[in-house]
Amino acid sequence: MKGERTFREKGGFEMDISMKAGAEKKPFKFIDIPDIVTICLQQHIGKPNHPIVKEGDMVKTGQKIGDAKCRMVVPIHSSVTGYVEDLKEVYNPVLNRKEKAVIIRRDGNDEMKYLPEYDLDRRKEIVKMVKEAGIVGLGGAAFPTHVKLSSQGIKKLVINAKESDPNLVCDVRLMIDKPAEIVKGIKLMARSLDTDEIIFATRTEEGQIPELERIMKEHGIKVVRVRPSYSVGAEKLLIKEMFGIEVPSGKFPPDVGVVVNNVSTAYAVYRAAYKKEPLLSRGASFYSDLTGIENIWFRNGTSIRQVIEGLGLDIDRFDRIVIGSLMMGWSVGSSDAPLLKYSAGVTALTPEYSKPYEKQLPCIRCGYCDLVCPVDIYPSLIMKAEKADDVKALKRYNVLDCIECSLCSYVCPSQIKLTKHLWQGKNKVNK
Amino acid sequence: MKIAGRLKKEKPPHLHSGFTKNELMLKTFLFMCIIGFASIIVMGADAFVHILVALGTALVVHATINSYQTWKGVEPTYSSPASVLVAGMIVALAMPIASPFEITAGVSLLTVLVFKYGQGRFFKRKYLNPAAAAKVLLLGLLSVMYIIEEPLKEGMIFHPHHYDYNFMSAEGFEASMWIFSRESIFGAELSATQSLLFWQTHGWIGGGSSIVVLIVGIVAAYLLKYKWRIIVSTILTMTVLSAAIGLYLGCDPILRIAFHVFTGSVIFFTFFMATEPQTTPMTHGGQYAFGVCLAILTFVLQLYNVLGGSIIALVLLNIFTDKFDLLLIKKPFGHGKEVRT
Repeated sequence: MKGERTFREKGGFEMDISMKAGAEKKPFKFIDIPDIVTICLQQHIGKPNHPIVKEGDMVKTGQKIGDAKCRMVVPIHSSVTGYVEDLKEVYNPVLNRKEKAVIIRRDGNDEMKYLPEYDLDRRKEIVKMVKEAGIVGLGGAAFPTHVKLSSQGIKKLVINAKESDPNLVCDVRLMIDKPAEIVKGIKLMARSLDTDEIIFATRTEEGQIPELERIMKEHGIKVVRVRPSYSVGAEKLLIKEMFGIEVPSGKFPPDVGVVVNNVSTAYAVYRAAYKKEPLLSRGASFYSDLTGIENIWFRNGTSIRQVIEGLGLDIDRFDRIVIGSLMMGWSVGSSDAPLLKYSAGVTALTPEYSKPYEKQLPCIRCGYCDLVCPVDIYPSLIMKAEKADDVKALKRYNVLDCIECSLCSYVCPSQIKLTKHLWQGKNKVNK
Repeated sequence: MKIAGRLKKEKPPHLHSGFTKNELMLKTFLFMCIIGFASIIVMGADAFVHILVALGTALVVHATINSYQTWKGVEPTYSSPASVLVAGMIVALAMPIASPFEITAGVSLLTVLVFKYGQGRFFKRKYLNPAAAAKVLLLGLLSVMYIIEEPLKEGMIFHPHHYDYNFMSAEGFEASMWIFSRESIFGAELSATQSLLFWQTHGWIGGGSSIVVLIVGIVAAYLLKYKWRIIVSTILTMTVLSAAIGLYLGCDPILRIAFHVFTGSVIFFTFFMATEPQTTPMTHGGQYAFGVCLAILTFVLQLYNVLGGSIIALVLLNIFTDKFDLLLIKKPFGHGKEVRT
């Protein structure tokens, strides 16, 4: 990783990751706690939360403000101390649609409401704690972590520290800063799954995270250096890469006896267990073509504007702001959009930054998209079928298996955003 | 002017590899320039003139259309001449060295005007390989001239004397190889097999030195990611078929392979025409099947002495490209493979 400038993808294609080279050396910059936070009630995959506070209520930092009685629900907590100013629909930058949110105005204090005591020797108690702490997969998927940790018959726990996206490096920084804490979180996860086989999948070189590696060795955690590739960061592809196991379509890693969790999620578990803190803040990578990468730490519900201004930048210099991965995240329509629990990256681009898809040319059927596709589907033929509304052909070409990694668009010499057609194709099949 | 707080909402991705169609075309052109240079060394000044004529014609047509589109206020179809240069070079290298220059100019004109710009304009994409289709069209017209006395003098590229050879017999085949056995490099006499591999002054300009085509073709296919399955299946099928017929008829199978695989109309054609992206299948299975069918059809047409057999075969198969895309669709990740738990 030290001098890493490219990832190698299927078909021999290379992905430029120079924007994050060396950025793991930059410590986290803590964004000031904002005066007002916008906390979206749905920050997980699953059923939505219902607000459990009303306008005018006083709330403490860490106090639950949204919940629902359902297994696939993760409660949501206030990230500041203050009063509820409003409950309204706001734009969710990740789901790219409007969602219910609680607007909280800070009163200047930061009084904490801690999580209750849990018996960390009992598996069920760990799972309960993880749920109550509102922990979701922090790699970007936002899958409820307690659901993963309650899986049965698990043989292997894989900690995904691969951080494959070209603009994200915050996980590596966290591994440098919090090695002992991460290992404690991992051990708790393993305990809840009743497995001793823990594999730490990383792309770092030997000696890059010496302290973490030393502690992991002491605890019998096996470190596996995974081939530097963007697509291998995806959970199922990582399992295939490491163990040769192919998770069947429509199934999940626990169905093959493996649970994969992100390294930042392990740190969140540690904080819940030993600091009694719900998931209120997280580390992320900020990139702009003016500054390069900065590692930041922000409270849930902080707006994009607050982050950018907190870094001393003028928001009006930018015309595109992307949340999450530059390969998979949308650019948002407003700088007032809030950051969520699983926003691992913020990228602000000036109008001068290249817009490679501005002038898309007709498909030349070169087949690059088919070659690079990590799940072996045919993006170009799917695009053709999608344009023709041919649902039969969309099914024939297995559009539903697309993992939306966008590699097809990335390599397309005609600079076509094939990803858009793959989504639309999926929607047409699911209708 | 951007409204404060309002930003551009865009779908992912926001990054691109930077490798564009123009770069792909330009690099393809440069690879073909190496082959063209080798052919000039082997075949002499005529090859150079053919290349200049084909490229010049292609560029003139491109510049004329481009100017017309600009004048009409229409976005030019091709912002750069890179792909036109590729088309022009393919025409040049796919012409027989004995062909008159005006025929080369005619094929280049048809290629760019009718089968490159025209197909794109009227059918939204290219269904037929432009250079191959132009050559087939012109060959067809010129074949009518077969009835004319001394047709070569009339400027045709159809060589009726080829009909005197019988490739279906060992004697007929070996007798026809005289044309390749008269080659020599710096005084050293070459056998027909050696000539077919290293130094051909007969046939397609692009086949001047098959070994150069083979090396450049492999490097280009690897670096520029051509549809290699078509190349492999075509060459393998041709090799198997030629070895089989050689053994069956009792002639030298090596010479038979050298002839059927290493003439310019096969070796150059396979690397740089049969892999033309728009007109060939996308699915891997489809590409293999396409290559096998192309080889079989080309081989049969070669046996019957049909000049331009490979390009006729290619144009015929281009028509069915979409059908080939229905063949042997690979199983995606997570489908039908046994899971070890």
